[in-house]
Amino acid sequence: MALEEPQQKRQLGHDEFDPVGTLALIGLYFLVLVAMWLFMYFVEFLGNDPTVVGTLVTGGAI
Amino acid sequence: MSTYVERFPAEAKVIRSAFYVSFVSLAIGALMGLLQTLHRTGMFEVFSEPGTYYTVLTTHGVFLVIAFTIWFLVGVFVWAVTTSLDRGVESLRFTWSWYGLMSLGTALAGIAILAGFVDDWPIVGDVSADVLFTFYAPLQAHPMFYLGLAIFIVGTWVAGVDWFRSWWVWKQENPDERIPLPTFMVLTTMLMWYIATLGVAVAVLAFLLPWSLGLLETVNPLLTRTLFWFFGHPVVYFWLMPAYMMWYLLLPKISGGRLFSDPLARVVFILFLILSVPTGIHHQYLDPGISEGFKFIAMTNTMFLLLPSLLTAFTVVASMEHGARQRGGEGHFGWLKALPWGNPAFTGMALAGLMFAAGGFSGMINAGMNINYLVHNSFWVPGHFHLTVGTAVALTFMASTYWFLPQLTGRKLFSRPLALVQVVLWFVGMTFMSNAMHRAGLLGIPRRTAEPWYDGFEFEAGVGSVGELNAQIALGGTLLTLSVAIFLVVVIGTALNGKSSEIETSVIPEPLSGPEDSPLVLDNLKLWTVIAVVLVVLAYTLPLASIIDRGGLLGPGGRAFPMSLDSLVVLAQLATEGALPR
Repeated sequence: MALEEPQQKRQLGHDEFDPVGTLALIGLYFLVLVAMWLFMYFVEFLGNDPTVVGTLVTGGAI
Repeated sequence: MSTYVERFPAEAKVIRSAFYVSFVSLAIGALMGLLQTLHRTGMFEVFSEPGTYYTVLTTHGVFLVIAFTIWFLVGVFVWAVTTSLDRGVESLRFTWSWYGLMSLGTALAGIAILAGFVDDWPIVGDVSADVLFTFYAPLQAHPMFYLGLAIFIVGTWVAGVDWFRSWWVWKQENPDERIPLPTFMVLTTMLMWYIATLGVAVAVLAFLLPWSLGLLETVNPLLTRTLFWFFGHPVVYFWLMPAYMMWYLLLPKISGGRLFSDPLARVVFILFLILSVPTGIHHQYLDPGISEGFKFIAMTNTMFLLLPSLLTAFTVVASMEHGARQRGGEGHFGWLKALPWGNPAFTGMALAGLMFAAGGFSGMINAGMNINYLVHNSFWVPGHFHLTVGTAVALTFMASTYWFLPQLTGRKLFSRPLALVQVVLWFVGMTFMSNAMHRAGLLGIPRRTAEPWYDGFEFEAGVGSVGELNAQIALGGTLLTLSVAIFLVVVIGTALNGKSSEIETSVIPEPLSGPEDSPLVLDNLKLWTVIAVVLVVLAYTLPLASIIDRGGLLGPGGRAFPMSLDSLVVLAQLATEGALPR
């Protein structure tokens, strides 16, 4: 890999750096998660018939 | 004294050797991935016998998640310990001894698996290990497989001793210093690994190996399965923690910034140490024989495990943002444009992190006890872990290779544009494949099945069609294989490239908030290990006791592979004799 000096335009110390962009990105991720959870509600409860786990033994009635 | 190989030539050789074994395993595993993708989507009938599918699937799983990942991470750990303590390994002979043990283990287990492609060998007869990565009894492998696995794991234990030893000697010389962050990450990961591998060690040495040798008649499948998951969940953190290490150490540096917080990074690794193991039962939500209460405890622990990953999302993104702002980035989202997207190491790791965020969502679904029923053993699950181990870990390892190789060889990276294409191709391929796998799982399409199509029954897709999902999976799998091929070309090209003096320094910049800001108690490894052990005892004592109480240590058994055929015969007999409703 070629010598890569980061093209640094300024020095930001601990106190000058305010990670608002991180807050924005993580906020967006949170919204996506909430939307996906809502979507799963439809998939799980409204999109399918009740789930039966295991074999239904009917004694030949069906 | 800039590159790693100039500072530690002998250690660089160890790391290179570990990486090369890792990459060979990647090549074999990836090829198997392509074969099964094409076969089970019905694109191309690769095997005439469905049984071969399990040889392919076992090769894919074991070569990728055991050999590729662990061989890579032991290399990374040697790098992390030697650079951060600024000292070579204590004894090179000792280091090569664990390398030898791991090689022997890999060879034995690997040969046992690959031998399954041939039905009958001269002299030795039938040798196979078609037991998948999870090797559940009563599926049975050739003893060589279990033996190889055991030797491999002992090799990793000895490697851990090597790193603890380095730290111990360093500590005597620097009694008042904080453990350097990279070494701290290695030590906490290894402590977690020692606890986690106890489960698989007992399962293999006490039960499965004697059983495969014929010394035991039967084993208790639920017991060995539970012991497997005792190890099988934390092993994912054994893969993930080195990937996190790369994100904490390399991503900020390559972004042109500094790690946001050393204390937060320490907290994350401690949380993984104490929470990784007492969660394994969440893989067994549908196992009869473990009561719901124990499963609930496992779920609670699992949900706590989201915490270190969310802390990581914050710390790593904030560190990247710091780099972007120093490079002149502005705005709430505009700073993203200032990141070094032309650098394959950066782009690969950043995309891996992004995919991990999506994997986090599907992981939350898996972890929920009730909603897990919806996706359990369906195609959703491989969809999930191809985002986590298959991208968050694998893509991070491949991308960081582009940073490591010049450091380890003193040679310039062969074709940076090709490397960039490789990481993006992985991301695109995985987007197709994993997304379609998740959706297919929601339709009920099963995993671990060679030919998931049935007479008189069709899966119905709410949106799109099964054909469209299969096409996406086959396309994604093909792109991923192409990506691995390009990766190997870049690796080989770099190994053969000329020496270069233009390689960036390997020094990692100081964090914005350094170790001096982190409480001393964080470095108290004894305390965290004790807490980790207590949590494991709490989570596992009663479930294990109840499993043994019900079935005994060696019962109720079950006939060894080929079990499916035997059970079909029994069912057919019962049906013809009228014992079952027809």
